[in-house]
Amino acid sequence: MMNGQNPNINVKVTFIEHGDEAEQVDRFMNEIENDLPQAAVEGIQSGIDGMMPISILKKEVFGSEDLKEIVEINEVHLSERTSVLDDNTYTTVIEVPDNFTYQTLKHMVLDQDTQPTLKVTQNDQHQIGSSIVSDVLNQFQEQLTLGTFLEKNGIDQNAIQLDEESYGEVTTINQKKSVTSKGYYAVGMAVMNVLFIASTIGSMAFLEKKIHVFDRVILANVSRWVYFTGVLISGTIIGFFHLLIVFGFAWLVFGVSWPDLIAFFTVTLAFAAAVGGIAVLLTAISYRFNSEVITNFFSGIVVTIMAVLGGSFFPLGDSSAIIRTLGNLTPNGAGMSAYLTILRGDGISQIGSHIFFLIIFAIVTVIIAALSFPKRGLAK
Amino acid sequence: MLELVDLSKKFKQMYAVKNLNMFIEKGEIVGLLGPNGAGKSTAISMLSSLVEPTNGDGRFNNISILKRPAPLRKVIGMVPQEIALYNDLTAEENLRFFGRIYRLKGNVLKKKIDEILELIGLADRRKDVVEKYSGGMKRRLNIGVALLHDPEVIIMDEPTVGIDPQSRNYILETVKRLNAEKQMTVLYTSHYMEEVEFLCDRIYIMDKGNLIASGTKDEIKRILSAEKTISIKAERLNFLCHHYGYFFFFRNHTINYRILF
Ligand SMILES: Nc1ncnc2c1ncn2[C@@H]1O[C@H](COP(=O)(O)OP(=O)(O)OP(=O)(O)O)[C@@H](O)[C@H]1O
Ligand SMILES: [Mg+2]
Repeated sequence: MMNGQNPNINVKVTFIEHGDEAEQVDRFMNEIENDLPQAAVEGIQSGIDGMMPISILKKEVFGSEDLKEIVEINEVHLSERTSVLDDNTYTTVIEVPDNFTYQTLKHMVLDQDTQPTLKVTQNDQHQIGSSIVSDVLNQFQEQLTLGTFLEKNGIDQNAIQLDEESYGEVTTINQKKSVTSKGYYAVGMAVMNVLFIASTIGSMAFLEKKIHVFDRVILANVSRWVYFTGVLISGTIIGFFHLLIVFGFAWLVFGVSWPDLIAFFTVTLAFAAAVGGIAVLLTAISYRFNSEVITNFFSGIVVTIMAVLGGSFFPLGDSSAIIRTLGNLTPNGAGMSAYLTILRGDGISQIGSHIFFLIIFAIVTVIIAALSFPKRGLAK
Repeated sequence: MLELVDLSKKFKQMYAVKNLNMFIEKGEIVGLLGPNGAGKSTAISMLSSLVEPTNGDGRFNNISILKRPAPLRKVIGMVPQEIALYNDLTAEENLRFFGRIYRLKGNVLKKKIDEILELIGLADRRKDVVEKYSGGMKRRLNIGVALLHDPEVIIMDEPTVGIDPQSRNYILETVKRLNAEKQMTVLYTSHYMEEVEFLCDRIYIMDKGNLIASGTKDEIKRILSAEKTISIKAERLNFLCHHYGYFFFFRNHTINYRILF
């Protein structure tokens, strides 16, 4: 799965149809018989074979000479949806909602009804396969909307919108890139590695207490909010440059480059802030218990657990929804998802929730730390 | 100005400080004397609002230190027993950092740093990292940091440990001068009677968490010389009837005290 050069590409496309396509075409024809002039109805009737977009997609597009070799088409019933998604062998699941064909026809021919939507779920572990399917679907969409389908001019370009559902990583149908194994590991290692910055800063902050420098800070009437915000900012700055160095190295040596630099810097900053937040938490805990044990435990064990959950070693989240959620609730997991999304070619709008989570995480840690700290700084 | 009322600190089952009563008037130099583990540092930490007492409270200008430590913190300078400095920063950087947390900046801070480096005799080593300093130099910087914000009260916890006699005299002179010139109030902790005797107007003596003697320099000196007499007398009385000897001696003394060493 990480092997970017695998020549045996096997693409498994699964269709889940909520309704019968032929029935929908019949229903549409019956309706227009009365409304349209006879000649027009006959014209449409003669091209009836070309009026079933899903059949075309299955037989003529995925079943074409070029794709037949590698694409395996499956059709399953709606009730099997969950089991298909849980079984990791699929590349893409295309869900055709009820009345899709009927609405498409109505929209295109009569300019009525809303634009119907296909639900496409990509398996991000099949990176090559899913990017092939994406390309195919894009072309299909263009052809459909350019009017080859009904040979009708002036049809809305967005007649069919393909919508993706987030399963596994969030991917959009417009993706052009797939994440290479080098990219994946560069991200995985960077987000794990930078966690050690947090424990380093945590133990440095505790050293301030140990060598009584912190007493001087307390005596200078420095508020706990200022102090912990200071720890947060230190962690953020050091984490930020640490990440830049690691990714700079990955770029120079492994050629891992970022399609959208603004998105990259935004994620890096948000993630660095979350790392600062972990440093704040560790500082608060070690102050509270007057011991470094927690910080050591963190750098020894917790980092590894978080790294595994976050997917630094392998995309663990793809095997279970709970673990995926847990993973995204770790700062490194959220950072990793965001980085991978950018590597796939998506912009900042796709990673808003991750960035939001990372920043909120950072802020909340300062609040927790300051509130858990004895108000007047008096040690017990 | 500063007073401690029935202050106690208990660690687990042991009292580090027990029912300590103490006061310091503005402009005084007060000595706190006692052997290792007497509870001096613990008492000072409670006085300076760093450690919460188990019992009792301190008052600064009649404000509870426990409830409102900020006014006291604003005016005290603390020279902790341990060296509280950033080892990997230079003397100048340490002073700048601690000056900044006291909200000093710009030229004021710069002038203050120069003044202090001069005062503690480290002006020529200002660019060296503290790690490379000798023990005595670190001690001097440890004192210098406490003076950055022109404190009204300075609390010094054994500031001369490990310092050569020459520098030690210099520090003692400096403390005296700060007191004379800037009316700085001083609480000076030490193991050495002669330091305290040289500096202080009044002296407190602690042992095993208890205050065992207090008074002016002369009063304390009288007690101590009396104590020497005790040991001599005790030895002499020993082969006679030592039990009676002790009691007899204690009863006849006017100042209330207990054996110190
Ligand atoms: N944090 C602590 N936890 C437990 N016991 C403590 C703590 N701090 C001090 N003690 C105990 O309290 C007693 C008094 O200690 P303190 O440091 O106040 O003595 P001191 O007079 O300053 O001694 P020294 O001259 O050696 O500095 C000692 O028995 C010490 O072991
Ligand atoms: Mg001490």
